[in-house]
Amino acid sequence: MSAVRFSDVHKRFGGVVAVSGLSLDIADGEFMVLVGPSGSGKTTALRMLAGLESVSDGEVRIGDRVVNRIAPGERDIAMVFQDYALYPQMTVFQNLAFGLKRRKTPKPEIERRVKSAAVALDIERYLERKPGQLSGGQAQRVALGRALVREPQVFLMDEPLSNLDAKLRTRTRGEIKRLQQEVATTTVYVTHDQVEAMTMGDRIAVMNDGVLEQVGTPEELYEHPANVFVGGFIGSPPMSFFTASAGAESGDTRLRAGAIDVLVPELDGLPAELTVGVRPECAQPWDPQAGLIGPVAGEVAWVEALGRETFVGVNVESGAGGDPTQVVVHHGGRATLLPGDALEFGLAPRSLRYFDAADGRAIAIRR
Amino acid sequence: MTSQREKAVTYAILGVFSLLALLPVVGIIFTALQEPGGAAGFGRFDGFHLSNFQRAWEQGNFGDYLRSSGIVVVAVVGVSSVLSIMAGYAFGLMRFRGSEVLFYVFLLGLMIPTEAIIVPLYYDLRDLSLTNTYWALILPQIGTSVAFGTFWMRAFFRSVPSSLVEAARIDGASSWLTLWRVLLPLARPAVLTMCVLLFMWTWNEFLLALVMVTDESLRTAPLGLSFFQGRNSSDLTLLAAGAVIVATPVVVLYVFLQRHFIRGMVSGAVKG
Repeated sequence: MSAVRFSDVHKRFGGVVAVSGLSLDIADGEFMVLVGPSGSGKTTALRMLAGLESVSDGEVRIGDRVVNRIAPGERDIAMVFQDYALYPQMTVFQNLAFGLKRRKTPKPEIERRVKSAAVALDIERYLERKPGQLSGGQAQRVALGRALVREPQVFLMDEPLSNLDAKLRTRTRGEIKRLQQEVATTTVYVTHDQVEAMTMGDRIAVMNDGVLEQVGTPEELYEHPANVFVGGFIGSPPMSFFTASAGAESGDTRLRAGAIDVLVPELDGLPAELTVGVRPECAQPWDPQAGLIGPVAGEVAWVEALGRETFVGVNVESGAGGDPTQVVVHHGGRATLLPGDALEFGLAPRSLRYFDAADGRAIAIRR
Repeated sequence: MTSQREKAVTYAILGVFSLLALLPVVGIIFTALQEPGGAAGFGRFDGFHLSNFQRAWEQGNFGDYLRSSGIVVVAVVGVSSVLSIMAGYAFGLMRFRGSEVLFYVFLLGLMIPTEAIIVPLYYDLRDLSLTNTYWALILPQIGTSVAFGTFWMRAFFRSVPSSLVEAARIDGASSWLTLWRVLLPLARPAVLTMCVLLFMWTWNEFLLALVMVTDESLRTAPLGLSFFQGRNSSDLTLLAAGAVIVATPVVVLYVFLQRHFIRGMVSGAVKG
């Protein structure tokens, strides 16, 4: 096992900058998730770590070694690909053993490791089958097994669950996490799915447009997003935003944005104009006894009933004749609402997040 | 869904084209089986005369011609295939400076017809004292075959998921091992199709053999057939039997490799 370090890493493809100034420390044994939308540079960063892409500038280290100019096969890493990349003409056993044979591992040791990985992943029955005879889930486990038998310094995983159906994805998610904890190998996992990131990562690195936006534990990212992008990307449904003007009123702050006019108690030091972020669970149907600020009146735009809870998109008049602001409101249980209905809701004052209106960065608040 | 009428029209069109393709072949075989010295045609039939083949074989010296063709075709197809696989792999999956330009240089071999280069080629080979040897038949055909083979194999290697090659690299396999152990087993339909095509083209090559060799023992089957025709212009049954003898190896090879050939031809057109 080894720590991984990206130091001011850049990657350019001709004139296109794919990764810009990436600096990231991944601790020994840590499960780090790189998450971001398509084109954010997360896969490029992983491929640079794997040695499948060259590094334009900066330094990539695995343990004490700078690996910029070291071939992928000599980096002591193992990678699980999105499409599994199993060798189709080889049996499952041969697939698992291929990397070990290349490293001149003694035959009894190869057999021991393959067997042990097969037991851990419950693929013993398929060892003599070829990849074409496996289901998606089985092939996925074989791909994991191929990485596992190598006992590498670092596991790299490039969206390994994206070809599985939702149910299998949830199960395999847990399985990967369990295996990683058992072997305690440093893991870098790339995904665009923030649910995967939140449930699997010890820490998450959020990337956007080739830039690292924020690194932190899932809780840190959810509770204290560094900017509007992270706030909007992490969480499902995402955080709602509206631009508001802020005015101090004897130790409290009044926020105004069209039909939204609320007094946030014990809040001071906000700029005159800012972006306010509201997590869905912080906006609830109006109840004067619930400690909410409001009410805010709006019109239901959509209803997403999940059974145990319901999320309601509410359009609120934004003032100045512009497009309405949409705030997602959390409704416990089933809501008998339809698009077009009027709804009053309140906001949980301590859960509101404030961002600079110009650059979107989080504003540190004084209470 | 296709209606009965559409189906009938489809079958009718396919039937007509099949007939057009088959008619000359059936005609030649039919003629080859007619009474020796008889007039060729579908009009009359008085049983099969297999002895025509024996006579053609003996009189036309086809044993020697087929041996020559065999030597040339095995050498050309064998060497070209190995070189094409390696060149196609390099052009398809490796990034190196000047690869695009170099690839177009390779393609020149596909674009320039033999007729355009045959005269200077003759003088070059004569200067090297290679005319009237197997080398004069083998080396130029390796050159043109590698041009096609590289083009063909490059297209195949480009269609292979890059993750497969990357997985092999991470597993510690060298480029050489990745090619022969990981990619080549997948390339079997493409390689066999290439071999069938190269075999067919090499086997049927006429002009090169006509210009480069004068020694009868070096003549290839199509050239031999042409000389045989010159000697037997009146006996069409013998000529037809000779033509069937010369064409048989290609047909046999195709029949044996038909399954792979079709898979190789359509690979890339539909997702497997």
